[in-house]
Amino acid sequence: MFGYKLKIEDDLLEKLKKCSEMAGYASVDEFIVHALEKEAAAILGPESSSASEEEIKKRLRGLGYIE
Amino acid sequence: MSKSKWLLVGVVICSAAGLLYSQLPGWNRYHGDHKLVILGIDGMDPQLLERFMAEGKMPNFAALARQGSFRRLTTSTPPQSPVAWSNLITGLDPGGHGIFDFIHRDPATMEPYLSTSRVEPPKHNLHLGSWVIPLGGGTAELLRHGAPFWNILEDHGIPTSVFHMPANFPPSASKARTLAGMGTPDLRGGYGTFSFYTDDPTVQAGEVEGGEIIPVMVQNWRVSANLEGPKNSFRKDWPPALVPFTVSVDSVSPVAKIAIQDREFVLREGEWSDWVHVDFSLIPGLESVSGICRFFLKQVHPRFQLYISPVNIDPANPALPLSTPASLSRDLWREVGEFYTQGIAEDTKALSDGVLDDGEYLQQAREVATEQRRIFDAEFPKFHRGVFFFYFSSLDLNGHMMWRLMDSHHPAYDATLAAQYGNALESFYQQIDGVLGKVLPTLDSNTTLLVLSDHGFAPFYRSFNLNTWLLDNGYLALKPGTNQEEGQYFTNVDWSRTRAYGLGLNGLYLNLKGREKDGIVQPGSQANTLLDELRAKLLSVRDPSTGLPAITRMSRTAEVYHGAYAKDAPDFIVGYNRGYRAGWKTILGAFPRQLFEDNTYAWSGDHCMDYSLVPGVLLSNHKIDAQSPALTDIAPTILAEFGIAPGHGMMGHSVFQPVAAPRSQTASLGH
Repeated sequence: MFGYKLKIEDDLLEKLKKCSEMAGYASVDEFIVHALEKEAAAILGPESSSASEEEIKKRLRGLGYIE
Repeated sequence: MSKSKWLLVGVVICSAAGLLYSQLPGWNRYHGDHKLVILGIDGMDPQLLERFMAEGKMPNFAALARQGSFRRLTTSTPPQSPVAWSNLITGLDPGGHGIFDFIHRDPATMEPYLSTSRVEPPKHNLHLGSWVIPLGGGTAELLRHGAPFWNILEDHGIPTSVFHMPANFPPSASKARTLAGMGTPDLRGGYGTFSFYTDDPTVQAGEVEGGEIIPVMVQNWRVSANLEGPKNSFRKDWPPALVPFTVSVDSVSPVAKIAIQDREFVLREGEWSDWVHVDFSLIPGLESVSGICRFFLKQVHPRFQLYISPVNIDPANPALPLSTPASLSRDLWREVGEFYTQGIAEDTKALSDGVLDDGEYLQQAREVATEQRRIFDAEFPKFHRGVFFFYFSSLDLNGHMMWRLMDSHHPAYDATLAAQYGNALESFYQQIDGVLGKVLPTLDSNTTLLVLSDHGFAPFYRSFNLNTWLLDNGYLALKPGTNQEEGQYFTNVDWSRTRAYGLGLNGLYLNLKGREKDGIVQPGSQANTLLDELRAKLLSVRDPSTGLPAITRMSRTAEVYHGAYAKDAPDFIVGYNRGYRAGWKTILGAFPRQLFEDNTYAWSGDHCMDYSLVPGVLLSNHKIDAQSPALTDIAPTILAEFGIAPGHGMMGHSVFQPVAAPRSQTASLGH
């Protein structure tokens, strides 16, 4: 059901809880996942998700709102 | 006890909905006898509803409005279904749930993507010759954030069933019974790709917007072709998995026999098949993916024309998660048979592409409505406690497609077709009235009923090409030597000279330094000055053919959104005037020469406009005290019905309590 477990020290957890509340996240989990996603994207760069025009078109196909 | 604690970092679906176990006072007020029924009717418009009620065509709605309450329901900013239903699901605005439009962009690549979910193939594979063996499975990820109301209910022990909820694919991890709705892909991974086979040489073969035109030959009264399924990630270069089929055409009569895998069936011209089960083999004998589709024999003579619906995920054996528990889709299949699982089942693109005509499209759309009613009729009688939510799609999709046939002012109005199908939308409204007629007699003193829509509807007469306006006014630049009308997805944009761009149906973004890949606008005073300038200029744009403003509201998201994801939002939500919408090509970053265009498409009604012009409806059997209820009030209302305080970050209030304070959601710079 869950992908991975990560052990975090209490003091860091408290900081993360505080940050997640200040930033308005629904939970500390959500904040941590979002922060990790952002960091991964920054390190991997655009190449990690770049797709061809054709691929983009296929993904968006069938949505009635677009031509 | 250890100083350390375990945190669960979900890489897939489940993380956002996780640990919101609020120990709230009052939940023990639930004694197990209170019930809440919610009918979620996409796109039900208050003006049309009032008209049909006044004409005596919706007696059950009229009775509910008379004996209970009927209000307009403030929709989301922007009033797009994934945004609006996410407001309802979470009680948060888009800043909190992170869904701003049907289409988002990745600022690191500037590539657009569908906003509500992401389907990823396996990340690691073993290559053996032409075979690629995935190490681990692919994933489907829900991109909506925030705790859905049903998880909070279940955490308080209140049984909840939620059918076909939009913006919930893959369904967020939950103890509730949930079935995914809008946002669920077909087996090819998009919103729906039909296949159309013909030997007509005048029809151009190849990909069209919502499908594929496949040329075939009728030889010895027989057609041989392939049905395309998902990409085969087990094969090098991921070729599509194919299933061959044959059609034997009667030489005289308009009849054909179709043979596919172990099925054979006969169709007359103009006849639809039942659902046909298809297995796409990935590794022969070892791995396959199961799908379902429907055949429509459009014409036999003089030209062969066969439509096959998008291949839907098989509810009996889903390749991607459709429900919680996972067994629910299979249980439903056992009870009601196969059903459309793709999120937007009405094949609007087949009508727009001319593959289906109005009558044929309406047959298909009515079948979708019938299936939804069949599931409702199977499930509603089982509801005895807790919360029951059921979603209906037909008023929205048919509002989009049929508006032109009930509005003689529409550029796509056709008097002949209007005489035949002008009351099609009305008949779908009446079907929903029939659903309500089934519910009303079951209400007892312990049951609250909410009937609501996510937004209303309006004509879509004229397109406004926002990116063309930005180009014409010097806010956006193309690469030297570029033909303005070539390319899309911003491929020809010179980002080093571009300060703003439009993406999606209502989004306007600055090309912001530090956020966009090649951003040039400095955050702070430079950005704010530019935003003020854009707002003033866009609000002053007039359509030369009507003299009307194209845009009536520019909502600055930094001011109207609240929550952690507001920073990912467009800088402005562009609120179009009634009758206007973003042009077809501007949405994905293309630049038609004309700033305004008549909308002559079959897609003729819309709601992606100024939110204040397209409110939804809210009806209840109880007195609604809130004078201006909003979608963000619905989750707090549901929780309050069971004595539960609003969840973390929820911004609304129960509609059954008067609210004095003005609603921050309605704040906007445009007015």
